[in-house]
Amino acid sequence: MNRTGLASPSSSARSTRRSDQTARVALLVTLGSETFFFGTLLAAYLYMRAGQPDWPLTHAPLARLAIPGANTLVLLASALTAYFALRSVRKGRISNLVRWLSVTLVLGLVFIGGQVFEYTSNGMQPADQAFGGVFFTLMGFHALHMVAGILVMVLALLRARLGDFTSRRHVAVQIGTWFWFYVVGVWVVLFTALYLV
Amino acid sequence: MATQVETMPRVRTPLKEQFLDWVLTTDHKKIGILYLVTAFVFFLVGGIEAMLIRVQLAGPNGKILGPDLYNQMFTMHGTTMVFLAAMPLAVGFGNYFVPLLIGARDVAFPKLNALSYWLFLSGGLFMNSSFLFGGAPDAGWFAYAPLTERAFSVGSRMDFWVLGVMLLGIATTIGSINFIVTDLQLRAPGMTISRTPIFVWANFTTSFIAVFALPALVTAIVLLLLDRQLGTHFYNVQEGGNAVLWQHLFWFFGHPEVYILILPAFGIVSEVIPVFSRKPLFGFMTVAFSSIAIGVISFTVWAHHMFSTGMSTASLYFFSADSFLIGVPTGVKVFAWLGTMWGGKLRFKTPMLFSIGFVSMFLIGGISGIHVAVVPVDWQVTDTYYVVSHLHYVLFGGMMFALFAGAYYWFPKMTGRLMDESLGKVHFWLMFIGMNLLFLPQAILGLEGMPRRVYTYPAGVGWELENLISTVGAFIVGVSILIYAVNLVQSLRKPPTAGPDPWDAFTLEWTVSSPPPDHNFAEIPTVRSRRPLWDQKYPELADWKAHR
Repeated sequence: MNRTGLASPSSSARSTRRSDQTARVALLVTLGSETFFFGTLLAAYLYMRAGQPDWPLTHAPLARLAIPGANTLVLLASALTAYFALRSVRKGRISNLVRWLSVTLVLGLVFIGGQVFEYTSNGMQPADQAFGGVFFTLMGFHALHMVAGILVMVLALLRARLGDFTSRRHVAVQIGTWFWFYVVGVWVVLFTALYLV
Repeated sequence: MATQVETMPRVRTPLKEQFLDWVLTTDHKKIGILYLVTAFVFFLVGGIEAMLIRVQLAGPNGKILGPDLYNQMFTMHGTTMVFLAAMPLAVGFGNYFVPLLIGARDVAFPKLNALSYWLFLSGGLFMNSSFLFGGAPDAGWFAYAPLTERAFSVGSRMDFWVLGVMLLGIATTIGSINFIVTDLQLRAPGMTISRTPIFVWANFTTSFIAVFALPALVTAIVLLLLDRQLGTHFYNVQEGGNAVLWQHLFWFFGHPEVYILILPAFGIVSEVIPVFSRKPLFGFMTVAFSSIAIGVISFTVWAHHMFSTGMSTASLYFFSADSFLIGVPTGVKVFAWLGTMWGGKLRFKTPMLFSIGFVSMFLIGGISGIHVAVVPVDWQVTDTYYVVSHLHYVLFGGMMFALFAGAYYWFPKMTGRLMDESLGKVHFWLMFIGMNLLFLPQAILGLEGMPRRVYTYPAGVGWELENLISTVGAFIVGVSILIYAVNLVQSLRKPPTAGPDPWDAFTLEWTVSSPPPDHNFAEIPTVRSRRPLWDQKYPELADWKAHR
């Protein structure tokens, strides 16, 4: 990204710090916007539900918790490994960074696989009354964010292997990890709202 | 950093290179101009749609447009003016002037900036292309579901609306994130929060509102698209959906949207009025923080658009009282502008005339807004021309006047040329008189019970005279816009003699040449007060001496 900071080329350390900070602020604002997006989706669901005394009408398919429950554990584990990746690069241990990023990616892919299995085997369709749409919309947007997170982490992994990061310069890892934490957090909320409430 | 050479030899670049230069640019000034020009073209398109509506309604039993075409016209007029004209005009000024006002060389993410422009253009063209493919969207600019469900809006018209608005929403979100980061991170050394120009404050608040309000719109249209294309049932009551859900989602976006539109206007007049009153802005921090207050409250008043949907009494009280509350920070601003002019050495140049026009017309719009926030009044006048009159006093009398103030004020900075003062004054007076003829009779029509969005009315119900006056007003406004266009073209042909600071202004954009050099500032300025250029020009009277 081409950032036009204020510092002159001579103070490159300062300008790196500044552009790192710019990237972090941009990510936080973006996540704020995302939160309102998921928030309004969730509010729409709860509002629809509040308007229907016998929700979800004739159809109660979400009794089976084994797969989504296991998926939740996988995702929580991936948040932990993402944190280990971030800690490794902070300490300058690039080989550990590569290892933990890879583990995180594998866990993310396992989660996506589990989700696809869940979508295809729980017997629901998007057009199954209102709840079918709610389920696939919330799950679908979360899955899209997972895919985005995986792409960001793949890029971080490639750059880590090329030796782009040091203990001081690794804003891409930081951004990727924060985003990953965020998507895991969203999952916990969605899982609670769709399966447990 | 190499010093900028300001007098470059005039070499004509080949047309192809010029074209590529504009298409591939990531320069905030060029993108700003692209936004302004594109949005002005869409403003003309939306204006023509409005004229067709007024021609149809000039007399009873109008035959110019049929009901179908009429629906398309008012839908596209509203959508175009809100999303394709008003918002991007404000974004255009923001793009061009925020970096200059804060002493930066560009926005934080220049490539994303270009991306937002091209997404905006694609969204606008895409939506308007629907005229060629079976007709334009026709369910009103707020596209109420279930009316817009497939069962009731057959064909692809509303899909054009949904996808077009989605592109525009993404464009605005990206642009707003960019602005927020720019405003926070790139201010020149010494530009503390309390020294940041009000236009930048307005840009910052607007961007925050956009970033948090647009997700609700995106949710609403995504659910509508899924209903229409995948057969889900979000808005379908028979299958467990909800008929009022759309209204909640849309207005959770839609009311903050009003402030996305009007806050940049507040910002522009807060820059113009001090310069033409020869005084600093009265109550600077109050004006700044009232923007924030408006931004926050705007998220809590959405259901005042829904008083007639059958809400609980408690909700009615809450949303009504809360809506009155917004009048307070807004009133604070009006007093600040009056306080700035009070005892000032007023110069009635065109930008100042438009700013004063803005304050007076916006006041009428704001007060009629308080009327419709009173629940029983709303029940009486909702969906009548009273609401049409109110919103146009706010958005045309308010926002467009302020945008023209900005256009006349900053034109010399963008082009190096001053616009013609006499034509500017003719433009102002025609537009001022025309818009009052246009929208004041509509308030009366609303009180007499004329519903909006009805393509004609019978003779003898007492609506003929007001409608005729309104249509005459529309033509006067149309002529005033033509005069502006003539002024624009004429002024562009004059030699660039405006110089860097033709208005004897206060802020950083006037410290550099007109138009500014490629990266704005050869050396990043250091700011010591709210009026850095004033300090520089009149060191013995410098603000920072008075304040410290």
